[in-house]
This record gives sequence, structure tokens and C-alpha cells, in this order.
Amino acid sequence: MKKLGLFILSFILCLGPFSIAMAQKSPTICAVHPFTGRFAFAGIEGSAAMQDVVDMANEAGGINGKKIQYYWGDGEYKDDVGIAAFKRLYAQYNPQIMFGQSTGMTKALGPEIKARYKVLYSAYTMTSEAANPKENPYLFIAAPTYTEQFGVLLKYIAKEKPGANIAFFYSDTEFGREPIVAGREMCKKMGLNLVTEEVSQVGGVDITTQVLDMKAKKADYCIFQGFVSNPIAAVIKQSKDYGLNAKFMGTFWSTELQLLKELGPLAEEYTGVTAYSFYFQEDVPMVKKIREWTQKKYPKVEYRSQSYMENYLTTLLFVECFKRADKMVGGITGDNLTKALQSIKNFDVGGLMPPVSIKSNSIPVGRVYRGNSKTVRFDPISDWIRME
Amino acid sequence: MRCGDYKENYIKDEEIFQSRFVKFWLSLFFIFLIVFPFIANAHMLYVSNIIGFAVIGAIGLNLLTGFTGQISLGHAAFVGVGAYTSAILITRYGISFWLSIPLAGLASALAGLVIGIPSLRVKGLYLCIATLAAQFIFGFIFVHWESMTKGITGIHIPPPQIGGFQFSTEKEFYWLTLIFVVLGVGYARNLVRSKMGRAFVAIRDRDLAAEIMGIDLFRYKLTAFAISSFYAGVSGALWVSFLKVVTPDHFPFTLCIQYLAMVIVGGLGSVLGSIFGAIFMTLIPEVLNVLAENAKNYMPGMEQLLIPFKDVVFGFLIVSFLIFEPRGLAEIWNRIKKFFTLWPFSY
Repeated sequence: MKKLGLFILSFILCLGPFSIAMAQKSPTICAVHPFTGRFAFAGIEGSAAMQDVVDMANEAGGINGKKIQYYWGDGEYKDDVGIAAFKRLYAQYNPQIMFGQSTGMTKALGPEIKARYKVLYSAYTMTSEAANPKENPYLFIAAPTYTEQFGVLLKYIAKEKPGANIAFFYSDTEFGREPIVAGREMCKKMGLNLVTEEVSQVGGVDITTQVLDMKAKKADYCIFQGFVSNPIAAVIKQSKDYGLNAKFMGTFWSTELQLLKELGPLAEEYTGVTAYSFYFQEDVPMVKKIREWTQKKYPKVEYRSQSYMENYLTTLLFVECFKRADKMVGGITGDNLTKALQSIKNFDVGGLMPPVSIKSNSIPVGRVYRGNSKTVRFDPISDWIRME
Repeated sequence: MRCGDYKENYIKDEEIFQSRFVKFWLSLFFIFLIVFPFIANAHMLYVSNIIGFAVIGAIGLNLLTGFTGQISLGHAAFVGVGAYTSAILITRYGISFWLSIPLAGLASALAGLVIGIPSLRVKGLYLCIATLAAQFIFGFIFVHWESMTKGITGIHIPPPQIGGFQFSTEKEFYWLTLIFVVLGVGYARNLVRSKMGRAFVAIRDRDLAAEIMGIDLFRYKLTAFAISSFYAGVSGALWVSFLKVVTPDHFPFTLCIQYLAMVIVGGLGSVLGSIFGAIFMTLIPEVLNVLAENAKNYMPGMEQLLIPFKDVVFGFLIVSFLIFEPRGLAEIWNRIKKFFTLWPFSY
């Protein structure tokens, strides 16, 4: 009887360290990147950014001595494959934070993340559905939503030329159509005149009709949405042929060096909004840090894209959330991570963005840049603009 | 080696499972399918469900293309019609999931009937293009009929339920998928050995001769389109109820190509071929993904090269299978079975 009692007591005592060990599970991030498919340019850079931030954080001591684990899978930019990769990674590594590859995947997994997985989640998306804390507190984006980006551009236009004629030029996809309804409302509120909406296929080159329509409607500004490069370059080039004197603007995914290279001498014609400093802005402390790290670890890499910067900032926020959640009762859990996220106010990111404050699970701030054909870079033409 | 296997009448000869040996192994397979959800993790169950939906859709396309010889490039559109019909009936009109599935199938069948009308005048590549129109027409409707489909935002669908029990996880939904796959396979297998099935094959082999023999081309071609689309609609309805969301981006043109690849690689004119093709086209990319991801443990730094390389490997596998057996995986299976029918003898 005495032996049985000792055995039971030992067993109970063993549970204590065991439960502590369970609570001290490594902070783990799992990500589904589009390494193949039409978004591969973002996936490859994005994964590199995540790995770099994790390595830097681990070199600096991790999360209270615990190394951050990072695992990834290829979603091929297909929802089925991405969701399968998500479930595979979750089953294998049981992470507290996950990152997805697309808007479609985010929409499909959102309800399950809220009901079952309870992991902090972000993705290669700027859809408003991923920035709605009332509907789903686990989802957030480390950027302004497409709607907020439109707002930044329209605010800039309203200041530069009140009452201007606006044209929306978007792709016939979820990505393209996302901010259009809100964009119409914002035009009305800001006293801008939405004269036409043009729709085209992604990568389309036959856009003469749209250019002529914008010319007929006397559009002063044309805002692109839902394209990465084509047909933006084609529209800008053809506008010169057909005498369309509009200023061309775009949102995050098109405000990239690739477009400037395609535009060549017409680079000044394009103005875009983005949420992050560029790799060539060497006066920005965080950019300087990224450059030093890149030159040390990847000496052959000459440039890091905005996709890299986006994932870099997102992972910085992940690490900060880990640190804050680790100090909470219960340790690093999905719920504590969401609380940690909401507590982020004026978080210094070294100039990559202004000090970050999470608002409605997004960061509604952007800056307008204009292309420069001589330097083949973007020059900032506005200060950071916050959307209320 | 099979011995003493002889048939005394045509009914026995037409049986699907012709020997006790086959019945035994099939029973074991069914037991495995029932035990599987209790031993598999969420990822395996997710992939199993996706395979199930692909099997139903592929059988539908094989009935039309493989058995009736009508090439269709609009199969994804019919999957979409079924998906949206089910989503709209459940969320807008409060109809239960159990009723929405057959109604979704019927809606797709109706769409298939309409799109199949050109098949009475054109065939081959011309019919291909005519059915391709369905893909673009329905794609446009899914995006622009916003009052019904909610456009690009899509429709969120609640999980199916019986009483208070919800089929919301992969494991719970697996049972539904299994039931529908068994029903779909059973019906198709019996259809192809019925009068209608023989009419389909006759139309495929020589439609003029079939017409002369008294087979009504109008009726049977449209029936093939309707049945094929019914299968596609059911597959779509199940798929979106499983994902709990439907958006227009779920039904791109590449989905049509994927289904065609399933039936060609699996074997045209074979129900078993549809199953093999669906498994191959769904499972092999998943296996290659896992291998590529794990390769970084053995070849660090090479993953950027290995990950795109898996697409090359997948394409190579498809081409190899078709070179060695143009009639698909089903014919490879038949050859293996024939070998063991006489084994250890050669003839």
C-alpha cells in the first residue's frame, strides 16, 4: 500500500515537469509559400525574408532562450494544394503561427482557424476579409488593405488636384475587384469624379479599347488594381500613342522594379503606393540592417523586393507577438498571440514603416512613390499617409 | 492462377465481381476504407476527401468522353454550377444540404443538356470549342451575377448537419464523401453494362452505324451530357460544402484540363480508370510536395531548385505512363491481372 502510494505520488510529481515542458514547446511558425505558379516571385522572396528574421531572432537569443522553429511548404498558388500544405504542416509541427499563400486560401481556412486551429495567421493577401478582428481575431495583415491603399492614392489625388477625373483599371479577378466598391464610395466622399472603369485580363496586351475610352472620358488619373506588370506597361506605352494625358497609379503588387524596367524611359509616368521602404533606401536603419545581412549571407543577391519587405515586417511582428505572449499566463497560445498583436502600438521597425500600430488587424499606412527612369528606382513623393 | 472459373449464362458472365477472390479483396479494401479515418491524420483525410470529389467528377467526364466519345472542355463549369446551386440553396433559401446535393446535380444536368445541344451537329475539336464556351459563359456568370453569387467575395457555406451533429472536420466529412463515391461508382459501373451504356459505346465507336442500328443519337448524346454534368454538379456541391466557401476562382479553365488529364491518364472508357486517374492526379503532386519539402533536410540550399523540379517530374511521370501504356493506368492494371490469372504459367 505504501509502495502504491509512493508510486502515485511520483507519477503526480512527474506530471508537473511534464506539463511545464509542454508549455515550453518551441515557438513555431509554419508557412505555405507559392514557390511555383504565377506568384512564385513573391513566394521565393517571402520565404527568404521569414528565414532571415527567424535566424536573426535566434542569433539574438530567441524567445526567452527558446529558438524559433520555421517550416514551410509549397502551395503552388492553388487553393487545394495550399490548404493541404497547411493541414500537413499543422499536423506535423503543431505551430502557434501560420502564414498562407493567397486570398482564396485565407477565405477557405478563416472559419476553421477561428473554430479549430486557433493560430495567429497572416498571408500574401491584403484583402479586407483578413483584417476584420470582429469576424476573426486570428487573421491579420501587416500592410494596408487594398481598400486602404486605394484610399491613400485617392487622398493624394484629392490633395494634388481636387475634383479630378478618375478611372479605375482592374483585372477581372478577386484580386482586381476587391477595393472597387469601396473605391467608388471614397471618390464620392473626396469629391473626385469617377468617369470610367476598365476591366482587362491579367497579362492582357490588347487594351486599345480601354485606352481610347479613358481618353474619351478625359480621365486625369488612372488607378490600376489586380495586376503585377502587364497590362500596366502596355497601357502606359499606348497612352502616349493615343494622346491620353492621364497620370497612372497602382497599388502594392505593381509598385516594383520589374514594372520600371518594362517601362524604360516612361518610368516617370507611373506612381504607386506601397507600405514599405525600398531596398535601395540605404538611409533607413532597418533597410541598412537587411542589406548588411543579405550581403553577408547571400553575397550574390543584389536586390530584395517589396514581397521580401512585406514578409520581413510580418515576421518581425510574429517575433514580437511571441515575446509578448510568452510573458502572459498560459504562454504562447493562439489566443495570447492575438492579444499580443492587439497590444502592438508604436512598435519601432527601424523605418521600414512608420512605428507600427495595429488597427483593425491591419496597418493602414502607405506612401506614394514615383518611378525614376534614370536611376530605375522609386522616389518617395509623399510622406507616410495614414488612413483613418 | 484462377481455376474452375466458367460461366453457364450471360448474367453470370456480366457480373461485376466475377470470383470469390475478387470479392474477398474488395471486402478487405472496404474494411480499410472504414478503418482509415481512425488511423489517418487531418492532412491525409483532407487529401482523401479531395480524391473522392475528383473521382466523382472524373467518372462523370469519362462517361461523356471515354464512353460516348464527346470531348468536353466545359467540365469545370458544370462543377461550378453544382457548387453555386448548392451554396445558394443552402444559404439563401435555407434548403438542407441533403436536398441541395441532388438539386445541384439536376441544375448541372440541365446546364449540360443545353451545352450538349451542339454535339448533335458538331464533333471532335469543334465540339471541344463549343463546350469551351460553357467555361467562359459560366465563369462570367459566377463573377457578375453578384445578387446571387456574391461575385468575387464568394459565399460562405455552413457545414452539413444531421440534428445537432455537424460534418465540419475532415474525418466527419470523409463518411459523406465515401458514401457518395460508392454510389457514384456503383451507378456508373452498372450504367456502362446496361442498354444505355452500350448505346454510348456504339456512338463513340461509329455514330453513323449506331444511328442506322436504331440508336437515337439525339437522345443518347444529350443523356450522356446530362449524366456527366450531374456527376460534376454533385462533385462541386460536395467540394464547396467541404471547403465551406465558394468563389469564382475555384473553377478556372485549368480545372477542365485537370479532369481531362485524370480520364486520359487513368484510362478512357473505364470507370476504374477514372478512379486511378483521380488518385494519380491528386496524390502524386502531394507526394512530390512532401519529398521536395523534406529534401531540404538532406540537401540544404537546394530546395529552391527542387521545388520547381517536381513539376518536371510530374510531367515526366504522365508522359512515361502514356508512352508505356497509352490506354492508361486501368490497362496497366488489367495487364497485371491477366498475368496473375495464368501465373505461374505463361499461356
